[in-house]
Amino acid sequence: MLQKVLSIASVGLQGIEIEVEVNVADKGFPGFGVVGLASKAVEEAKERVKTAIINSDIEFPNAKVTINLAPADIPKDGSCYDLPISVGILASIGELILPKEKAYFYGELSLDGSLRHTRGVFLLALLAKEQGIKKIFVPRMSANEASVVEGIEVYPVDNLKNLIRHLSGEKLIEPLKTIDTEEILSDITPDFDFAEVLGQEQAKRALEIAAAGGHNVFMMGPPGSGKTMLARAMSGILPNLTEKESLEVTKIYSITGNIPPGGSLIRQRPFRSPHHTTSQVGLIGGGSNPRPGEVSLAHRGVLFLDEFPEFGRTCLEALRQPLEDGLVNISRAAGSVTFPAQFMLVAAANPCPCGYLGDPKKECKCGSFQILNYRKKLSGPIMDRIDIHLTVPAVDVNHLMIGKNEINNNEKSETIKKRVMEARKIQSERFKDLSHVHSNSDMKNRHLKEFANLTGEANLLLKQAVNKFNLSARVYFRLIKVARTIADLDKSGEIKENHIAEALQYRVKSDD
Amino acid sequence: MFDKSKIQNYKKGREGEEIARDYLIKKGFKLIESNYSNKLGEIDIVMSDKDWLVFVEVKLKVGDKFGHPEEMINKNKLSRIKRIAEGFLVLESPIANKFEKYRIDAVCIVLNEDKTVESINYYDNLY
Repeated sequence: MLQKVLSIASVGLQGIEIEVEVNVADKGFPGFGVVGLASKAVEEAKERVKTAIINSDIEFPNAKVTINLAPADIPKDGSCYDLPISVGILASIGELILPKEKAYFYGELSLDGSLRHTRGVFLLALLAKEQGIKKIFVPRMSANEASVVEGIEVYPVDNLKNLIRHLSGEKLIEPLKTIDTEEILSDITPDFDFAEVLGQEQAKRALEIAAAGGHNVFMMGPPGSGKTMLARAMSGILPNLTEKESLEVTKIYSITGNIPPGGSLIRQRPFRSPHHTTSQVGLIGGGSNPRPGEVSLAHRGVLFLDEFPEFGRTCLEALRQPLEDGLVNISRAAGSVTFPAQFMLVAAANPCPCGYLGDPKKECKCGSFQILNYRKKLSGPIMDRIDIHLTVPAVDVNHLMIGKNEINNNEKSETIKKRVMEARKIQSERFKDLSHVHSNSDMKNRHLKEFANLTGEANLLLKQAVNKFNLSARVYFRLIKVARTIADLDKSGEIKENHIAEALQYRVKSDD
Repeated sequence: MFDKSKIQNYKKGREGEEIARDYLIKKGFKLIESNYSNKLGEIDIVMSDKDWLVFVEVKLKVGDKFGHPEEMINKNKLSRIKRIAEGFLVLESPIANKFEKYRIDAVCIVLNEDKTVESINYYDNLY
């Protein structure tokens, strides 16, 4: 008998409804076949489904079982079809009654008939809401992801037996309560504190500005000066994710399987620090069935590239599009997808291969050619896109000696975060009518006229600076954006002369 | 050269083929050749069913400890039978030329522990 069960496939970040057609024929040589552009993981579902059904004390039909995943021209990947396939088979042999109204089934089976954590449940819930599907059946471990979506009933399924009992009305599964997203977002704990970073007051101020406006930062300094520590502490001063942002991030994390079992929304801003041997596909995303890379996983958060010049040149240059547009377009033979990638780039580098160029105490051993080669990696177009350039000098030993008191006197991440949040609040008020702009760095040039008013003196200073240092048009606009953030931190409506002056300080390097 | 269990398996196979042959002859098939073999391998029974030339694969299992006999016929097995059958069509052309249609059938037999037949399943035209 033919049975149809609904499930989904994901193409990029888009969910597509898939009809799983299951036919258990009474004639023909027994066998089990899956058609419909199934990948290896789906092909292997045969063994899992068969064993899981047998281990649920149900006899597997000794007949010709044919599965079709329609539409047949979309490639299907992943283990999520185990549940719809087994539900279809059980319905075909009369062991299970399919619900009357449309419902989605989704999940990977374990050999003992229980359901495992499966990636992409959040996307399933979103598609269900969009398509007006009322019920979804998902693994219990992944059900929390779906429970933040309103207007659908999420049934957490432990194993096949429970599902059969539920559908026959023998013992019902309680649908999950919808979790209030704001409640989840409010409780987070930072894991690193700015008070632990000794000295580096200028760098801290710069990172505060970066966090407040979502600006890209480039830090240069000798080894051991605290670049990495500063960057890691940064996640503690980033503003909380808004509900909308959290949903965007959760979608990406759900598809890539980065949500731990039992987890629901992503609550903390992502902080990604890929190693410098990361491939271009790993960084940007790609593959024959395109998957998001690190830049998309860092969406709405921080992408920290330590040892920036050590990254492959193609990797760094590939960052141009996401840095400028906040998204990546990936085109492959199979099709083209767009992943969001609005991240804050924090890059760290040494001034030269040995690391001590310009250090007052230690001598640099690099030849001029070596230094030139090293710096060549940091190409103009990339550096142009970074708003805040920082020199992080080696820490004076006096800062390190005192220990405890010093840490207590230092400003806590919490206090900095409060200021950052206030600045962000001003920004979200300012951009409330714009859908894609969340922070000052997201502003397009056309928005500047409306939102960034410079005083007369500020304008003059800016003009002089652009002429004197020969700054590009892009740098000009970026300077205004940084100045806007500094003004926001200052709670000033207009951008004043001192705001521009501070912004310039982060732009113009002494050796330029 | 053969150990004991292999000889036993061989005997069981022969038994199964006999059961299958009798079963199919009762169904109206005519025997052409038993245990046809060429350099590609062996086909259990070659028969004719009206104007069809039929290659029959026989599978026998004693008890259900090792699963259904049907599970033992997979894609690989089927393609091997196909290759041997194609060999038959070329090498035994005087016989093969009398037929225009060919197919592969399977007979799956399950025996009880006391060697009585528990079930015979016949499948025609595997693909």
